Amino acid sequence: MAFLKNYMLAAIFALLLLPTASLAQGRNSEVVLDITKSAFVKTDVLIRDLDVLSGGVESADAAGLMNRIVANDLLLSGLFQVGFSEENPDSLEYEFTIEGTVEGPLRDAEQTGENVPITISLNLLSYPQRQLLMNKRYRPLPSQMRATAHHFANEVIYWLSGEPGICLTRIVFSRGEGGRRDLYVVDYDGEGLLRLTANRELNLCPSWSPDGSEIAFTSYRDGQQSLFSLDTSTGKVRKVIGLDGLNYGANWRPDGSELVLAMSETGNPEIYRITPQGKIIKRLTVSPAIEISPSWAPGGRDLVFTSDRTGTPQLYVIDSDGAGRRRLTFEGRYNDSAAWSPGGDKIVYATREGNYTQIVIMKSTGEDRRVLTDSRWGNSEDPSWAPDGRHIVFASDRSGVYKLYVYDVVEDTFRQLTFGDDPDITPAWSN
Amino acid sequence: MNKGPISRSVVLTLGLMLVLALMLMAGCSKKSKVETDPAASTTVADTTQTIPKPVKAETEAPVDKSPDYATLEPGDYGVGDVFFDFDQYDLSDEAMGVLSRDARILKEAGVTVLISGHCDDRGTVEYNLALGEKRARAVRDYLVSLGIPAGNLRVTSYGESKPFAKGNNEAAWAQNRRAHFERP
Repeated sequence: MAFLKNYMLAAIFALLLLPTASLAQGRNSEVVLDITKSAFVKTDVLIRDLDVLSGGVESADAAGLMNRIVANDLLLSGLFQVGFSEENPDSLEYEFTIEGTVEGPLRDAEQTGENVPITISLNLLSYPQRQLLMNKRYRPLPSQMRATAHHFANEVIYWLSGEPGICLTRIVFSRGEGGRRDLYVVDYDGEGLLRLTANRELNLCPSWSPDGSEIAFTSYRDGQQSLFSLDTSTGKVRKVIGLDGLNYGANWRPDGSELVLAMSETGNPEIYRITPQGKIIKRLTVSPAIEISPSWAPGGRDLVFTSDRTGTPQLYVIDSDGAGRRRLTFEGRYNDSAAWSPGGDKIVYATREGNYTQIVIMKSTGEDRRVLTDSRWGNSEDPSWAPDGRHIVFASDRSGVYKLYVYDVVEDTFRQLTFGDDPDITPAWSN
Repeated sequence: MNKGPISRSVVLTLGLMLVLALMLMAGCSKKSKVETDPAASTTVADTTQTIPKPVKAETEAPVDKSPDYATLEPGDYGVGDVFFDFDQYDLSDEAMGVLSRDARILKEAGVTVLISGHCDDRGTVEYNLALGEKRARAVRDYLVSLGIPAGNLRVTSYGESKPFAKGNNEAAWAQNRRAHFERP
């Protein structure tokens, strides 16, 4: 496998160029791995069991948890193959190894029952040379174990690819049936499910603020559809805006300074930019048509949205002043729910073919349209991008009830994110 | 005819009738007493006795027969939903007929109702919220044209998120493409 050998030589050569002093901070500034290239070859990593230096069961459990989560994170990124021993059935040719130590509290601290942090030290080394490339030390409380493992996995991914990992990201969504649907949040790997609202109402179409401090969402509290915002550190909910009619489909501008949404106070839904306090900045559309589902381009200058002015819903692009309107979709009779990729190069949306909706991806110019799901997927809707521009979460009722699935654009693979009997819809991926 | 004093046959008949009447009255009054001995002799009831009737107070307010509309769901007092074709929000002749009847009831009730628009689950959550609102507004506008004050008609849409029937078939879908009246 000449290609792989050459690649290994190139990787080792690049690493040798790094000054050995830059261990804690240093990263390879050259992009070693291009995560969006389809012909990408994965990096093989050996993850050794962590050495438990002290502490009892708690330390051993922490060590095992670290291993499992870091390994899973590296796998989910799509950049790595992971093995746990030198002898491995898949004949992995390791280039790197991850190892470390866990130190528990001293015996008397254990007996006092205090919530004492454990000390975890994690290393990334080259293989087989064992050159130390990166070291991270953590002192997590028991509740912070998963986040610690995710943080380290992110560091490894960033070190090796130059792109930030998504291991600490979360997905907010609406779960429930009929008139009772609440907001829930789940870690990107499907763990840590948390319920955010419990108000016996219909709560849906949530959207993260770019810094993660707020989740805007639509709710029917007080018998009227309005836009609300949940403070993610306090759990407090405030009303943002609730004009007569519909107020929904909100999305934050990438710099976090404002929101865009659809409101129908004038008699039919139009696109508006508003401040987080609920003051209208600008109305972007004026027409008797339905104009909804606005989504910002990453630069905050353009938006993609849906209009049915030609008779059925189609995608259009417009700038933040409401000018420069141009139609984007010409294939398919019914196109809606567009989301602009974080890199600005792609748009994902839903199209209705016959009785079923499917997920479609295309360049933001409208070219290279590709349908990602098919009839096996039943209905697939509500796509939302991960901040890495490589993963998409969406809702599908392929199993009989709507559940969330994650799609890897490069691998062309799917994994189920949420489970259970209640429908999950309108997901939104955090930064 | 003999025009003199009452004939014998008449006297006899009257007497028989009197006896019969007395016996009947005795029988009636006997029913109100505990029956102990069927062979006991019939005692003639005191015909001056009357069973006291309850006195209805004149000052009682008359009973209000109309429903308390404000506490009821409009469907409970006869306000019917209307249904729509796939992807459509215009009112069929049948829908207009239903709304004409609804208008009479709503005029009588004089309360504010909420018209909610609904869709079947084909299509996207977001577009269906907008389509549902168009259905609700179409109903509202028609009712206003029939004389219902606009202020009594609030409008919202649940899109596909509050269906009335479950199922991936036309029977269920048809049930869900509707405008529904509810108490706000």
